[in-house]
Amino acid sequence: MPSEVMTTGAADATSAASKPNAPILDVEGVTIQYKTKEHLITATYRVDFQVFEADRFVILGPSGCGKSTLLKAVAGYLHPVEGEMRLNGTSVTEPGPDRVMVFQEFDQLLPWKTVKENITFALLNGGRCASKNEANDIAMEYIQKVKLDRFEDTYPHMLSGGMKQRVAIARGMAMEPAILLMDEPFAALDALTRRQMQEELLALWEDTKFTVLFVTHSIEEAVIVGSRILIMSPHPGQVKAELNAHDHSHATIGEDGFAELQSKIHNMIFADRVLEDEVVNHG
Amino acid sequence: MSDKAIGTYVRPEFEVDTLKEATNVDVERQLSLVERISNINAVRKMSILLGLVILWQGYTMIAQPEPLLFPSFVSSAEVLWETIVSGEMFQKVWVSLYVLLLGYAAGLAMAALFLVLAVSTRIGSDFLSTMTAMFQPLPAISLLPLAMLWFGLGIPSLVFVTIHSVLWAVALSTHVGFMGVSETLRMVGRNYGLRNIPYILKILVPAAFPAILIGLKIGWAFAWRTLIGAELVFGAAAGKGGLGWMIFEKGDNLDTPYVFAALFMVILVGLIVENVIFRNIELNTISKWGMQR
Repeated sequence: MPSEVMTTGAADATSAASKPNAPILDVEGVTIQYKTKEHLITATYRVDFQVFEADRFVILGPSGCGKSTLLKAVAGYLHPVEGEMRLNGTSVTEPGPDRVMVFQEFDQLLPWKTVKENITFALLNGGRCASKNEANDIAMEYIQKVKLDRFEDTYPHMLSGGMKQRVAIARGMAMEPAILLMDEPFAALDALTRRQMQEELLALWEDTKFTVLFVTHSIEEAVIVGSRILIMSPHPGQVKAELNAHDHSHATIGEDGFAELQSKIHNMIFADRVLEDEVVNHG
Repeated sequence: MSDKAIGTYVRPEFEVDTLKEATNVDVERQLSLVERISNINAVRKMSILLGLVILWQGYTMIAQPEPLLFPSFVSSAEVLWETIVSGEMFQKVWVSLYVLLLGYAAGLAMAALFLVLAVSTRIGSDFLSTMTAMFQPLPAISLLPLAMLWFGLGIPSLVFVTIHSVLWAVALSTHVGFMGVSETLRMVGRNYGLRNIPYILKILVPAAFPAILIGLKIGWAFAWRTLIGAELVFGAAAGKGGLGWMIFEKGDNLDTPYVFAALFMVILVGLIVENVIFRNIELNTISKWGMQR
């Protein structure tokens, strides 16, 4: 797997000319605001980015930088006050099965449906399958991909946290969305399970090369999982940088490049925090 | 204290080559018969009932109260048995249950209508919470005089008060249940393109099912009570009476064992609905889904 990651990385680097024609997701000047009872809060301010096919695009930032808000807007749950988001050229206006979201919360699985039914529910209601048999077949295929065969008839409450997230990922992938949205999917898992899940996600990506937009607040996770990292600064969330991380995975954790990238990102985020403190002090 | 150096106590490392076998403890064993029997819910509850029966029969045998006022358990049970065998009891139960089912079904239908409005619009939600706040504390039976004026002395009046006792209980707890459905599940439902009625039926209803079931149970208990009470008031004028009418009629004739037999039946129907029907619904839904222990 590591060598494959390396070759993909090399291909990316050398074939800059063969840039794909159009991005899958084009986010342009997006400002999102929301209201609490007393305040109007600007979560993100004029954010631009583009996600191309087979990208593992990570949005990274400290809490309060609006990264989850941004993802929810891409999913269609929130509407920007300014700017536009286009998925394959069509403006995003409401939630739809072409952008499947994997949440952090374990309760994203329907507790009244078994593992298999959770996936067929998505396939049938999301309009990907017309017949139950077809949905069953696809569901079983993806259950095997996330190594949960034997558990297809189990109800979610019997599963561990990691298994629940695997079901959610299988459900998302089974829909074959244009883009898979992941909102800190491993943040609620223990460290060992998290690492295992990251490896499995990368292996799945090697297998089908799906496009994924991944939100996290862990620098390490961003470097491991991402092929490209968008770094956001908080209050309001703005784009600070976009970095390449396609050369890095679990296999390169000990290497210099990994640590270098990690500390580079760390400094970017940390620099912001100092600035923010100063602003508070002066204010 | 002060002269002790505080720091890390460094010990030698070690690794165990072969793990000891657990020989002196049972890794897994079956519980004893008594433990297993006492784990059966029905057994525990039945033994409480048995205790109460013994207490009652013992009291009537020792204190010998006037049988017209307080018959023994045995004589009440005998009458119950006779009326069951003769079919009289079932006929009364059926009359009561028929009205109850009419009222219950109509109440649920109206609750569903209000809930759809409450989920889809803010004014609907305000309307429902205002209505439940108003009518929930009002005993349904207090509407009986009005119902008799409007609908006459017959089944429609009974159905009216039954609806009133079911509707608000079910609507209130379902509404609360809907509001408690997590934002994540809502987003998941909308992600797969569910909107409006399919969204309510496929996401909100199952997700709020524990609360809905509580509403159904409370609604059932309210309805059964209200109905028996209403039958007591004007069962005499209705063509054929149900259990409530039987209690009233037999009490009037001082057939006290019959009154007890009818009361037994009221309780029995309640227990069966609660412990057989609702229990089975629970086992096949919220228990299976891990929403309830």
